[in-house]
Amino acid sequence: MQISFILNGKEIHLDVPPERRLIDILRNDLHLTGTKEGCAEGECGACTVIMDRQAVHACLVLACQLNGHRILTIEGLEQDGRLDPLQEAFVNEMAIQCGYCTSGMIMSAKALLMNNPGASEQEIREAIAGNICRCSGYEQIVKAIQSVQDGERSKEAGND
Amino acid sequence: MKYHLIGKNVPVCDAKEKAAGRARYVSDMSFPGILYIEMVFSTKPHALIKSIDTKAAEAVPGVIRVFHCFNTPKRTFNRFRTVYGQPVYEQERIFADHIRFAGDRVAAVAATSREAARKAAGRISVTYQDLPFSLNIQETSDGRIDDIFPDGAVYETPAVDIGDVDELKSADAVQVTTHTELARICHVTMETHGCIANYEMDSGQLTIYTPCQSVFSVRTVVADLLELPYHRVRVVKTTMGGSFGCKQEWITEPVAAYIAKELGRPVQLIYSRPAEQVSAVSRCPLTGDVTGYYTADGVLKGIDADASLDAGAYVGNTYDYAMAMGYKFTRSYRVPNLRFTSRAVITNTPVSGAFRGWTSPEAATMLEHNVNMAARRLGIDPVNIRLKNAYVEGDVDNRINVPLENTQITRALKEGRELFAWDQKKAENAAYTGRFLRGVGVACGSHVNGYFPRKQDFGTVDIAVNEDGTVQINMTLHDHGCGSVTAFKMMAAEALGIDMAQILLREADTAVTPFDMGCFSSRTVYVLGRTLIEACGKLKQAALQNVSEIHHIPLDKLTCCGGAVVCGTEEIASFKEIGRDSIFKLQRQLRASAHYVNTTNPGVHGVHFAQVEVDTCTGFVKVLDYLAVHDIGQAINRGMCVGQIQGAVMMGIGAALQEKLCLDRNGQPKSSLKDYHLMTSCDLPPIRVHLIEEPSKEGPYGAKSIGEVAYVAVAAAIVGAVNDALGSDLCAIPLDPESIVRYLSTKEEQ
Repeated sequence: MQISFILNGKEIHLDVPPERRLIDILRNDLHLTGTKEGCAEGECGACTVIMDRQAVHACLVLACQLNGHRILTIEGLEQDGRLDPLQEAFVNEMAIQCGYCTSGMIMSAKALLMNNPGASEQEIREAIAGNICRCSGYEQIVKAIQSVQDGERSKEAGND
Repeated sequence: MKYHLIGKNVPVCDAKEKAAGRARYVSDMSFPGILYIEMVFSTKPHALIKSIDTKAAEAVPGVIRVFHCFNTPKRTFNRFRTVYGQPVYEQERIFADHIRFAGDRVAAVAATSREAARKAAGRISVTYQDLPFSLNIQETSDGRIDDIFPDGAVYETPAVDIGDVDELKSADAVQVTTHTELARICHVTMETHGCIANYEMDSGQLTIYTPCQSVFSVRTVVADLLELPYHRVRVVKTTMGGSFGCKQEWITEPVAAYIAKELGRPVQLIYSRPAEQVSAVSRCPLTGDVTGYYTADGVLKGIDADASLDAGAYVGNTYDYAMAMGYKFTRSYRVPNLRFTSRAVITNTPVSGAFRGWTSPEAATMLEHNVNMAARRLGIDPVNIRLKNAYVEGDVDNRINVPLENTQITRALKEGRELFAWDQKKAENAAYTGRFLRGVGVACGSHVNGYFPRKQDFGTVDIAVNEDGTVQINMTLHDHGCGSVTAFKMMAAEALGIDMAQILLREADTAVTPFDMGCFSSRTVYVLGRTLIEACGKLKQAALQNVSEIHHIPLDKLTCCGGAVVCGTEEIASFKEIGRDSIFKLQRQLRASAHYVNTTNPGVHGVHFAQVEVDTCTGFVKVLDYLAVHDIGQAINRGMCVGQIQGAVMMGIGAALQEKLCLDRNGQPKSSLKDYHLMTSCDLPPIRVHLIEEPSKEGPYGAKSIGEVAYVAVAAAIVGAVNDALGSDLCAIPLDPESIVRYLSTKEEQ
């Protein structure tokens, strides 16, 4: 089927089988391999992308569900060669080890901060509870997300 | 601060690529003309394959060839063999004709697209002849599968025997017996097993790209299996999405290499999560018994221990694993008398393999529980009984007669007790007597730094300085994702007084980097790091020599300082100038080579403290507080050490309380992560980390190992805390709600 959607700010037109998974469209058709496959059943969160403003599992979204929607992947966060503050925070807070969960983890965190910039630690932990990381104890990841909130708050304070 | 870089927080070298989604793992790589492999696994636990019908599969457009037991070699290999000529049981074929577990490799399809491969794999029909099967150690002991291999189904290991345990029986020692059972658990690396293999027909060159723990081990196994000379097999380590031991099992490499060679094309084989759970590798189920002999005031006089390890369908590493377990009872406490017997037992279940800690966690779980029960029987506080027995500086591991050097386990116990507020928590817990009960647990977990005195354990490092002063380090590193490359760049930058950004250090590649044993036995920082320091020292000597010749200054007037050679306070030449001038004025590159043979293995310890709350209605255990104290020598990259320790605690709590790979009636594991419960961000307490940094003698900057030792004490500490809360003697882990409710209701009936 013909599908049209917005991917990382750009219009995409594709002719694909309706049952093709978004993760395969991203990785195989469009060669955007930043989105990782970890379980293919929505359990591990490695393939998390943002659909409109919601974090979704790219392994559970099918081509036929994409028409007219906006998809944001890890590749869409970087602007003009500069990492998004959330990506920077993951680097600086030592929240990245093997990195295989990182794309999905960052996208879950990004969706949270889009909708709830002042999320509490508990809300942060709940937002990433569907993203499995086997290297860390999640503490550095939570700190990275909090540090972006702190950065935003101090920016706001500076503007006053 | 003593150092510019050592002990600081440095993000892993490829953190930016990983954050941006640009880091390339093997599943992200491709080659022109690449084929995709889809596997077919057995659904029978034990059977002979009578026939395979591949016609329908071959008719699928895009299918190149179907491989199975009737068109592939009968030669066998061992998935765990790490070095050339190593004595191991070679029992596995690339594709089995004698199926030994539901998950055994039956066939593979190579096709031009993943879809075609998958579709064709679903159309292969196999006729089996069923055989009797065993799903656990007991069933094998009952004789159900005695003739599964020519060597039988039970592989007894040589006993470890120190002193005279039997003597203690007649003495008036207090005997404490405990029983431990460990469930089968999975590594669940976020990146599953997979690799790409490419074979160039004209040159006869096979190249394998794989996230493995040892490129030279993959080479020796694959080259021998395919009867290729070693220089015709190149193995390149790719960015690894976690291992925890599972990627020291060569599972996809032999299959992909064989198919690539047959077809003369690049092939990619990536295990799906169900394939990973069903067919790859898991940590063995284990039953163990310990009799501890103690004096009335809690001094451990001896241990008599026995363990049966469920190898799964092939011996793999389990014989060695069972044997290694006997080496792990003498790393925390003085044990004057020890007997340890063990065996690997074949069952028709998934193949067991290496797991983080290589039996140190399993031995610690057995031993620490025994110590706790002794403490309870003798009325001694669990911290105090450990203080009575823990090694002190100057002690020797009497099994191997190797000094433990400045071991800090006693200090870790003392400092941990204070930081954790052990005594206060103990007192407060007593107030919980209703539905919710609270308890505290402490455990000592110890490990090694490399193989010594077992096996050859050496390192090789070459360093060269380019004409612009940048530095290339050639050595064999396997970064699991925890930042080995970063730690090594930090050490080299510190040693040479240069910036980390000036260093090129690539990971293992058999065509480029020197022979190495691989990333096993927590040897990387301790052994290879020390080799790197030796190489940096030699490079600085060579720099002085070159500057002396170029500038006609006597050698003894020159020193290296801050990335330059100085004479007194005057800078004579920067690294850049020396690099350039060595080439153009002396006609030789500034370079150095170091070879280091490790001959030490100091004590390296983690002492962990946990507080739990048990809901006696639901059986649910919540970890309220956790402290990990580590005798680390010197942290190289502090943030990564902390991250690794917290990750190990997460993993160990999961193993202690909920992780268990369940099998169906045919021994086939539940293939979904829905049925395998991992710890999430919401399940964990704050994980506090306290590092004791007393430098070791030989480690680089005094560093000792961390990645494995961090995991050793976790389950034992949690088990101790649960038993403290319930007054129980439970050590069949996981202590999931079901097992705790069962225990409580049995207790009530009594």
